[in-house]
Amino acid sequence: MSEHSVVGQKVTRVDAVEKVTGAAQYGADVHPAGMLYGKIVRSKQAHANILSIDTSEAEKLPGVRAIITQDDVPSGRRVFATDKVLYLGEPLAAVAATDPDIAEEAAELIKIEYEVLPVVQDVTEAIKPSAPRFHGDDTKDGPNRREISTQIRKLSRDKENDHSDEISKLEAELENYPDEVYYNISAESHSDAGDVEKGFAESDVVVEDTYIIPRVHQTYMEPHVSVASADSSGKITVWASTQGPFAIRSGIAGTLGIPLTQINVIGTTMGGGFGGRFGVIITHIPAVLLSQKTGRPVRVQMTREEEFTDGRPAPGCVIKLKTGATNDGRILAREALAFWDSGSVSGASIGSTIRVRGVYKIPNLKVDAYGVHTNKSGTAAYRAPGAPQAIFAGESQLDEIAERIGMDPVKFRLINMREEGDPVPAGSNEPKVGYKETLEAVADAAGWWDREADENQGWGVAVGDWTNGCGPGGVYVSVHEDGSARIFHGSMDITGTDTAISQIIAEILTVPYESVTIRRGDTDSAPYSTGSGGSVVTFTMGNTAKLAAEDAHRRILELASERLNTNMDDLELKDGAVHVVSAEQPKSISLGELAAYSLSTTGGPIVGKGSFARQASTPALAAQIAKVEVDPGTGRTRVLKLVASQDVGFAINPMAVEGQIEGGTVQGYAWAMMEEMQYDENGNVNPGFVDYRVPTSADLPTVESVIVEVPAPNGPYGAKGVGEPPITPTLATMANAVKDAIGIRITELPIKPEKVVDALKGNGHSA
Amino acid sequence: MAKLPVSLTINGDEHDLLIEPRKTLLAVLRDTIGLTGTKEGCSTGDCGACTVIVDGKAVTSCMVLGVTASGKEITTIEGLASDGELHPVQQAFIETGGYQCGFCTPGFIMASKALIDENPDRTEEEFRYALGGNICRCTGYTKILEAILQAAEEVRSTS
Repeated sequence: MSEHSVVGQKVTRVDAVEKVTGAAQYGADVHPAGMLYGKIVRSKQAHANILSIDTSEAEKLPGVRAIITQDDVPSGRRVFATDKVLYLGEPLAAVAATDPDIAEEAAELIKIEYEVLPVVQDVTEAIKPSAPRFHGDDTKDGPNRREISTQIRKLSRDKENDHSDEISKLEAELENYPDEVYYNISAESHSDAGDVEKGFAESDVVVEDTYIIPRVHQTYMEPHVSVASADSSGKITVWASTQGPFAIRSGIAGTLGIPLTQINVIGTTMGGGFGGRFGVIITHIPAVLLSQKTGRPVRVQMTREEEFTDGRPAPGCVIKLKTGATNDGRILAREALAFWDSGSVSGASIGSTIRVRGVYKIPNLKVDAYGVHTNKSGTAAYRAPGAPQAIFAGESQLDEIAERIGMDPVKFRLINMREEGDPVPAGSNEPKVGYKETLEAVADAAGWWDREADENQGWGVAVGDWTNGCGPGGVYVSVHEDGSARIFHGSMDITGTDTAISQIIAEILTVPYESVTIRRGDTDSAPYSTGSGGSVVTFTMGNTAKLAAEDAHRRILELASERLNTNMDDLELKDGAVHVVSAEQPKSISLGELAAYSLSTTGGPIVGKGSFARQASTPALAAQIAKVEVDPGTGRTRVLKLVASQDVGFAINPMAVEGQIEGGTVQGYAWAMMEEMQYDENGNVNPGFVDYRVPTSADLPTVESVIVEVPAPNGPYGAKGVGEPPITPTLATMANAVKDAIGIRITELPIKPEKVVDALKGNGHSA
Repeated sequence: MAKLPVSLTINGDEHDLLIEPRKTLLAVLRDTIGLTGTKEGCSTGDCGACTVIVDGKAVTSCMVLGVTASGKEITTIEGLASDGELHPVQQAFIETGGYQCGFCTPGFIMASKALIDENPDRTEEEFRYALGGNICRCTGYTKILEAILQAAEEVRSTS
């Protein structure tokens, strides 16, 4: 039997009834009296100079209340494009009207004159000198030039000796790499450990390939939406469907140049986020500006089409990867050169390229990553940002090595996996993590060791690692006269976290889960809370909740000690009452009685406070196995089996944990097999669910989830963040299964039927 | 734009409305009536978040003009529970964990109800295909399938 009574149990979520009855209020369900409807006016060109914006016709349309452009941004911070647009869908103006259809009509009436400029969408083209340029000084050296330049700089700094000969030699060497001057670079990231050249030289097998991963959209089901209301005193209220209300508050304050506390952000129920709902995004500022201008509440809601043209999706990338290993299965070296498509702004998770190291002992590692500008919208986080892309490359290539040396892919991974205390390449030392346990669990559950495959069938395995984030949070818990407990906090529920917090409080206060209720405050009322993303909530808020409950627990024993006239050390809180431990004189008092008593004490009511910011978190592993069948005629891949295991530390609510594993795995499946935002010189060409297909229940079978629990030392009850890891290995799992089925390695995602047919044709098969 | 008279029966209540012909049934439900449980996920009929039941059939309300629904009986997610009792489909979604963010849930529940009303004896595979018009991004569908199968079983055993 479990040592816990509420945590670790499958419980009904706290928001169950409101979610199945339509009562939950999402962003677009907020409708203050007198609300106007906003619409963003967007560029119809992917790259162009703006010659003029004429709003005169739109202003005449009855029902239009305001039209704003960059001229209406008092702080001057860029909200709308003025002289130039860099992508299709870039905001140029915004309209507020009494009706959503009128707002849309008005947006169409705004005349914009463009001078069209050349467009580049492919990162490998964008880095060339012939590519159109977007931002000023954005040229960077590639890996070899960078190394030589570093040596030159080092030698030049040494003023005591004459290095002019060496320097001119090195300068001549630079000429060997004319293609290594990269243009349109938005950011770079480099790391290394050991000596990769030496590692490759010592390897028996070296494999090199280029992996291409498409840009995909988080596709949260609720499109971005904000409602803003600016009152005559200057106070601004924003209802936002967001992962982080506090970041929106500071973001709006910074953009508009107004004090933080003049803004109150109310987080509504969130219709999915997956990383795409962080910080100030497209709709917040226009809604505030339109409300300030009209004096009325304004809702700005994006359509699904706008989501695709002006969302902030996950970056696509091109990763050149090289791995060397010995014939007995030891990985000796790995080298990556990655170009991430950051779109019109910088960013793009380039630092995650380091995840090509996986969870393996790789003594020699070199990683060079660049963010590259193209004519697309900027990017944002998507569930373990950057990891699925890097791990797709890393885990695909591992299977190629395993095949060359004739070793089972699971065994190959097991013998290379790091153990507690092993150095992490370009990192610190490995803590205790269930890497092997998780891989072995999925292999056993899937029947890997005695797997069978008919013709055109194949099996694939891959693992992916991720470490949950951590951030500040605060929780209050009050105990009432009826013995119930009420939690108050400010972190957004991300599919079950409010439930986990409630379970932890119930566990410590020894009360039934049903007697605990939880309320979220807005940024005016609640203690600061970090954003709900990066798998932080259960780890951070779980720890915070634990501290709050322990604080209340102390007060409860203090009150009981007074009331029962017993030393605190002789008291125990159990089953919702405080008992005197000594058996001779059985005495007890219920939490309700203590709460009532507390109201007339000097110390006052039972209020526990928890405040927490940072603790080292522990990596988590997701391991998956797929069995597929490929139809060589149509190229269609059918999943026959998909098993996903994960080291979750401790599953506070196993049903919610399974849900995260299943959902994340299916998102990974979709990235591997279906999803791809497509662009041409006009911009995004598949801005809807007909052309950008996401999986439905008809696309794949039930995902089988396997929970592995190797406790995290600092997690609440050993829990780790569980949301992100499950998406990380699936891309490679699928590619490895398809390889096993058709004998051809597909290195460019998604693995659509036409790609399979082409691959088979190229190999002499007839389709 | 000139408005037209429309009579709708929504969750048993009669509504006589004047609405613009360009307004969808979804817009009428959400903006005119204020029943916001029905969600807008794509406005192109592809995601199923706006599914309601019109004269016994599940339809995507973003693809129906309000004026063409005149005289029809409409059931939305708000009208599913009766006498304070959740419908078996709602109950099953709770018990199996068939929802996460919950945004697609009203659409899934309405689609499931219509499918079960039509034929509760469908196999898992048949429900899988029949629910292909609804998109959920959180659950990976495993627990949604469990929910609809559990609800179908419940309906079979009580009818």
